Amino acid sequence: MPTLMTGTPGSAYVEEIIDLVRTKNPAEPEFHQAVEEVLESLAPVFDRRPEYRSARILERFVEPERVVIFRVPWQDDQGAVQVNRGYRVQMNSAIGPYKGGLRFHPSVTLGILKFLAFEQVLKNSLTTLAMGGGKGGSDFDPKGKSDAEVMRFCQSFMTELARHVGPDTDVPAGDIGVGGREIGYLFGQYKRLRNEFTGVLTGKGLNWGGSLIRPEATGYGSVYFAAEMLATRGETLEGKVCLVSGSGNVAQYTVEKLIQLGARPVTLSDSSGFIYDESGITREKLDFVFELKNVRRGRIKEYADRFSGVVYTPLDPKAGSNPLWSIPAQCAFPSATQNEINGVDAANLLRGGVYVVSEGANMPTTLDGVARFLDAGILYAPGKASNAGGVATSGLEMSQNNMRITWTREEVDQRLHQIMKAIHRNCAETAAEFGTPGNYVNGANIAGFLKVADAMMDQGLV
Amino acid sequence: MSQDAGRPTGPPAVRPLGSGGRLHGFQDLSRYRIHDILLVSTVYDAFILTEDGQLSESVLRRFLSFDAYHAPRLWHAATGADALALATRERRFDLVITAAHVGDMRADAIARALAARDPHPPVVVLAYDPRDVDDPAALAAAGIEHVFLWQGDVGILPAIVKLVEDRLNVAEDTGTMGVQAIILIEDNVRYYSSFLPVIYAELLRHSQSLVPEGLNLSQKLLRLQARPKILLCRTYEEAWRDFTAYGANVLGVIADIEFARGGARDPLAGVDFARRVRELQPDVPVMLQSGARENAAEAAAVGATFLYKDSPTLLHEVQRFMIEQFGFGDFVFRRPDGSEVSRARDLRGLEDELHTVPPESLAYHADRNHFSRWLKARTEFAVAYRLRPRKLSDFATIEELRQDLIQSIHDYRREQNRGIVADFEPATFDADAGFSRIGGGSLGGKGRGLAFGSFLLEAYGLSSRFPGVAIAVPPGIVLGTEVFDRVLDSNGLRDAAIRSTDERELLARFLAARMPDDVLRDLSAFLERARYPLAVRSSSLLEDSPSLPFAGVYETYMLANRHPDVRVRLERLLEAIGRVYVSMFGRHAKAYLESTPYRLEEEKMAIVIQKVVGRPRGDRYYPDLAGVARSHHAYAVPPLRASDGVAAVALGLGTAVVGGEPCFRFSPRHPRHLLQFSTVQDVLANSQRAFYALRLDDAGERQPTEDFALAQYGLDVAERDGALVSVGSTYSAENDAIFDGIGRPGPRLVTFAPILKHRVFPLAEILAAVLELAEQASGGPVEIEFAATATPWRGQPPEFALLQLRPLALTREFAELDVGRYSDLSLVCRSSSVLGHGRIDDVRDLVVIDSTRFGSARSQELAAALGRINASLADAGRPYILIGVGRFGSSEPTLGLPVQWDQISGARVVVEAGFRDFRVTPSQGSHFFHHLMTFNVGYFTVNPERGEGFVDWDWLAAQPAAGEEAGVRHVRVERPFVVEMNGRDHQGVIAKPRDG
Repeated sequence: MPTLMTGTPGSAYVEEIIDLVRTKNPAEPEFHQAVEEVLESLAPVFDRRPEYRSARILERFVEPERVVIFRVPWQDDQGAVQVNRGYRVQMNSAIGPYKGGLRFHPSVTLGILKFLAFEQVLKNSLTTLAMGGGKGGSDFDPKGKSDAEVMRFCQSFMTELARHVGPDTDVPAGDIGVGGREIGYLFGQYKRLRNEFTGVLTGKGLNWGGSLIRPEATGYGSVYFAAEMLATRGETLEGKVCLVSGSGNVAQYTVEKLIQLGARPVTLSDSSGFIYDESGITREKLDFVFELKNVRRGRIKEYADRFSGVVYTPLDPKAGSNPLWSIPAQCAFPSATQNEINGVDAANLLRGGVYVVSEGANMPTTLDGVARFLDAGILYAPGKASNAGGVATSGLEMSQNNMRITWTREEVDQRLHQIMKAIHRNCAETAAEFGTPGNYVNGANIAGFLKVADAMMDQGLV
Repeated sequence: MSQDAGRPTGPPAVRPLGSGGRLHGFQDLSRYRIHDILLVSTVYDAFILTEDGQLSESVLRRFLSFDAYHAPRLWHAATGADALALATRERRFDLVITAAHVGDMRADAIARALAARDPHPPVVVLAYDPRDVDDPAALAAAGIEHVFLWQGDVGILPAIVKLVEDRLNVAEDTGTMGVQAIILIEDNVRYYSSFLPVIYAELLRHSQSLVPEGLNLSQKLLRLQARPKILLCRTYEEAWRDFTAYGANVLGVIADIEFARGGARDPLAGVDFARRVRELQPDVPVMLQSGARENAAEAAAVGATFLYKDSPTLLHEVQRFMIEQFGFGDFVFRRPDGSEVSRARDLRGLEDELHTVPPESLAYHADRNHFSRWLKARTEFAVAYRLRPRKLSDFATIEELRQDLIQSIHDYRREQNRGIVADFEPATFDADAGFSRIGGGSLGGKGRGLAFGSFLLEAYGLSSRFPGVAIAVPPGIVLGTEVFDRVLDSNGLRDAAIRSTDERELLARFLAARMPDDVLRDLSAFLERARYPLAVRSSSLLEDSPSLPFAGVYETYMLANRHPDVRVRLERLLEAIGRVYVSMFGRHAKAYLESTPYRLEEEKMAIVIQKVVGRPRGDRYYPDLAGVARSHHAYAVPPLRASDGVAAVALGLGTAVVGGEPCFRFSPRHPRHLLQFSTVQDVLANSQRAFYALRLDDAGERQPTEDFALAQYGLDVAERDGALVSVGSTYSAENDAIFDGIGRPGPRLVTFAPILKHRVFPLAEILAAVLELAEQASGGPVEIEFAATATPWRGQPPEFALLQLRPLALTREFAELDVGRYSDLSLVCRSSSVLGHGRIDDVRDLVVIDSTRFGSARSQELAAALGRINASLADAGRPYILIGVGRFGSSEPTLGLPVQWDQISGARVVVEAGFRDFRVTPSQGSHFFHHLMTFNVGYFTVNPERGEGFVDWDWLAAQPAAGEEAGVRHVRVERPFVVEMNGRDHQGVIAKPRDG
């Protein structure tokens, strides 16, 4: 291990920066928390890369490159004037144009957006695509607003934002409160102001610049990541019994890709309970689930009513663990919600023979559960790596816009596959480099940062 | 609302109701008479009292029965200010009967204002809500003479007038002239409001039975005048004063056992009173009533008849007591030798018996003018006069006489019955627009609401405001409560029904019961004309009671009504009617009624038989949409105001809305501001997935058991049927968007966008107009049920049908839910941003998320712990108050607890509090907001840092925990918390238990 110029360990540098962030941004508790959580996981980096410290990489990293705050006046349906505050935090463009969502929600403050932008820099970097990080939005609440009000607000918002974004500068996407409808209104106004049709936003409508495979990306990506992890042990998904939780987009497309790759998915769940189909969910059965969940919006219980040999277990809200995770299997794809796997569930998974966990949901495993997986040395992919497929397709939408071509479903899927492979390799190599081979948590935490930090080093003091 | 008043252009404040002087030429012999009554009430209340079809006639006839030649003239004022102005201008009123609240003024204020004038009329309060009579002393202090409670019996109005008159005349008539008097000692408003009409009715029969043959008319009238007086006393001293004054002429005493004596409640005051009465006058019958059975012995000891107050047949026993004491006057058909053939109780009975009595009996009575005399004794003067000149010798045969008598009485009855809701006439009934009645009695709550709605739509020309849309109450008929009584009595079902606990056996008896022939004929004739699906709906007396939501307590059945043979259709209709009748006596309904201040015996059932609004589509039948709307929106958030109202609609039959299934909510005045449908995820989570329709296939034709005829279908069926065009939208996962209409491929959703955004049908405008009109006329918030077809079909225009109209009991509470009276020290929580309305005072459990332990990292753990505590409280049937930091149901752990609805489903009140530098924005619009509204959960937002209310965290922390898990504390208290929420100004409090 190289000695440090200052003679203090990386963790001390990190503590120093955390204090600095608190002092300089006193009213932004969310930002403090994010910086603290991320930087603590990065402490080992500074023991190995003393040059980051002399170049003050962290001091620069926690300071947004630019923050725009602006007035968004609009008129409601009653004719009254309303004023909201608009923001765009352009956090880091070392590896590509700023990229990150717009959030319309009354809770939006500068502190929250800085926190989200900070995390976005690392998420985007991890995808290996050329995307910097940013975040924006407004304290506007779309709830209870008419279409016309939402449109007037979006137009007013973009009238100012248009000066600060562009396909080669900053490419916002949707987030809470900003869906297809809002992206449409924002895009229309940008196009009108600039008189140019460019990929200034992602999440666009399919027939005006959007990309295919968006609903599928997270689920597919999580399976690709699992396949890559297995490949490090010379195995494939073929014939593997897989537990999948949830029944929304992520779970559905996880199952679809598992079937394509020859695995045997046996469970799905919703907020009422889960089904266990020991013989495996087939293509035909999955079509039933698509119809059930996307068209009829019924309960997963109906799956058990429809097919024989299926056991339905209702959720017991009083129980301290979920019996879904006690079913014997080799792989698990938690794709439902946060914290769905606690310490007890994790132990049950290990006992049931699971040695591959690829997270499709955001943070589905509690800290206790993660610790058990790491202790057991299984192939555990944290969500920030395994569910990066969603972010990656935003990058693919940008690419298609810039090239002015539209890829087919297969082409997008194939590129997604390549990206997931790259993410995996990046995480695995970084984990090994930092002395924890096979620890994808460390790998994912550090890999994204290294890419940005190195780019900042390369580009000089900007 | 007299029929010749022409079409009014706005609800008039003052207008004479009904008409006096129907009979004339007789001198008023009593000293004090009430000639002009000022009724101060909303138009709706006045309508129910006086124009419920034949009620106006019925009230009038009751007056005429008492006084024979005189009925008071009824005036109406819709506001307190109008009443005072009118009283000043006219100076003619002998009595003011006022509701407890009339929009701008309370009864005590009206009484005080009137008392300041000289002379001033007595003021009587007729309350519509039992809670308004909780404190009669306060009302008495304002100079209010009597307080009564409206319980659905129109006899209350004559009883009030007679009671006031009796008291004014007793000194002269009884004291001087020796007219007899009954002393009634009762201080419970609800009880005497039930008794008095019954007692007066019995008195009337009694006095008629006293009318001997051979008296001339004026003598007979004198006899009727000389009916016993009733002296209502509330205390021992009052009663004893009356007994002392009129003792020799006291016909009997009906007394409670416990009432006030010497300024305090005496548990045996009645027993002592009876003993003293007996000592002075051993032959005076005394009935003692008590809610305690053990008092029977006490009553027996003093020789009094005992009546158990909670007896399910209380009123009947009172009647029986009086009949046994005072005699009764049926028309008794006899042969010339005096042997009895049969009896007739009333006009209809007389008409029925006339068909069958032997000719010698007919001749016997006709020759002696018995019919005319009997009718006159009952004050049926018009028909009595008509019959009187007809001698047996005028007719060729006795059979001719028989037909003439029957026809005269029949015609007379029909005239009597004619009101707003016409009697069903087979020859003239319009199956496409008619709304008629079969049988007498009340129309019941729903029937009244529909009659009132029909009147409003007609009178204010709503259809003309929406050209091209037919706006109406669907065609149909109402079976009056008299039919119910006849079915129960003629089949001997009444007592069995009240006492039975075996529902299956009772159902069998009801299904086997025989419907009276005349009703059968009418129903059959109705079915001949009504060739559309029918809804058979309960319409009980209490169903429109504003304070008691009876929705869903009684049954409703739907009939496809398609069988080619009318006899088969009649059979099915009769079965449905029988099932609705029996539902009144089911365990569910009995249990519900027990929780109300009413007794089953007071309840009667009318039945609405109405066209189901909709269209046949394939083998189904359903409307494009149906739903419920209220003129008051307790969960309104800006820009919506509470007074903008709220509607919940669904595709298909309204079953989905009433049943609490996913439906679509909007404010008719802001149809494009949709709280629950702002984001794609919200729409997916909250919108309707399936719809209800009436089956037109075999199943719909079979017996109407348990909504058997209804079925649920997916939206794909609606799309094939063409019903989705007006209400559908399309979801696109690829675009993360919902597109209005069903033009693009993708899963379908019910969003009502074509109607509400693209105006293919003026639903919001019609709802706003109907709610405004109904609210104005009812003097308070209203609720309506409706159904509509949004597109023309086979030459018929789009249709908006009003299916129900009832007042909501909110007005009273706005005045009284003044949460400012609580001191902050006595409160757990105060908020100025509360959604919901009303008072909750039966919750003893509280679950609190410790503010110091909240943090985004732990939010999932907290949510899970909360879910477990919720589940165990729900299992124990214990509702609770939930207090937490941040927003519940937030998807962002930094903003609050990411709970699902089922993790907090047992909460009756939810408090979301900000903490330190952390401000909460209400979850309004989040997916479980729909549940808050559906289940009437109170919803408080508190941001102490911004001066918006507070939570007493220290007090909460100091309470011992009944359970604690991961920072979620469960507190249970001995005495309940009191929660008050005022939906008008959004103020609310949660008070600490009083001994806490």
